[in-house]
Amino acid sequence: MLIQTTPEDHRIAWFAALAITIHIMESALPSPLPGLKPGLANVITIAVLLQFGWGAAAWVSLLRVVCGSLLLGTFLSPTFLLSLAGAGCSIGILWLAGRMPGRGFGPVGFSILAALAHMAGQFTLAWLLFIPHPALWRLFPLLMTAALLFGIISGIIAGAMTTEPRPCRT
Amino acid sequence: MTRADWLLLVAVIGCLPLLYTHFWSREGVARYLQVQEGNQPARIIDLAPDRELVLEGPLGASGIEIHAGRARFVHSPCPGKNCIQAGWLAAAGELAACLPNRISIQLRGLHPRFDAINF
Repeated sequence: MLIQTTPEDHRIAWFAALAITIHIMESALPSPLPGLKPGLANVITIAVLLQFGWGAAAWVSLLRVVCGSLLLGTFLSPTFLLSLAGAGCSIGILWLAGRMPGRGFGPVGFSILAALAHMAGQFTLAWLLFIPHPALWRLFPLLMTAALLFGIISGIIAGAMTTEPRPCRT
Repeated sequence: MTRADWLLLVAVIGCLPLLYTHFWSREGVARYLQVQEGNQPARIIDLAPDRELVLEGPLGASGIEIHAGRARFVHSPCPGKNCIQAGWLAAAGELAACLPNRISIQLRGLHPRFDAINF
């Protein structure tokens, strides 16, 4: 029996594959602080959100976390749980942000919200489960600042990816 | 960038300093005044009611004013008046001392972090 797939499924799979690739490449980067990562896979989530809506973005994000962890060998490990909490929070906030009245957010706004929610969710879980020490919160302002910066950068990249290229002038 | 993007960016940048002050502040809000007179054990005094304390030291009486959760030396019989020039103590952990009269006051929060720091 063959599972029937739709073009939508294929699209999600392709984008998830792209996000997983970025996720794995990024995991090779050294990090000065635990939890500090550029989170460039977020670019794909935001770009998919803008082009194909929240449902597709949620699929891509969750597939990235699950398949990325399977490939990196961190499935069901603390890293995986933190990643899952972060992705869950950022997808949740994107759902809310998509319901803004008026013109709503653009790529940069979505990306900042997603990055901050990711960091806050991941951090809270790390504190609740792994390091329940109040001193951990001293890292929080620094990590949120980094999340804001990377969120802005990812948002700009996602915006550039999703706008129509200008026609060439000759 | 839409208008919502800009608003969000401004709000987040506005809130970040609050995070830093909240999580990096030293002892939090001052609750008590710790008073040390000579060799006697330190006394802990509630900061809530405004009042003036008169403490007797070897040189004479030093006056300490407690007002709106802050404290300061008002008068002291010492020659240098460094204690008075220390001004209002407002944050937990701040200290003023009148060494000639052997009196010191320090604000304490609920969670004192250090007795002293050496460099």
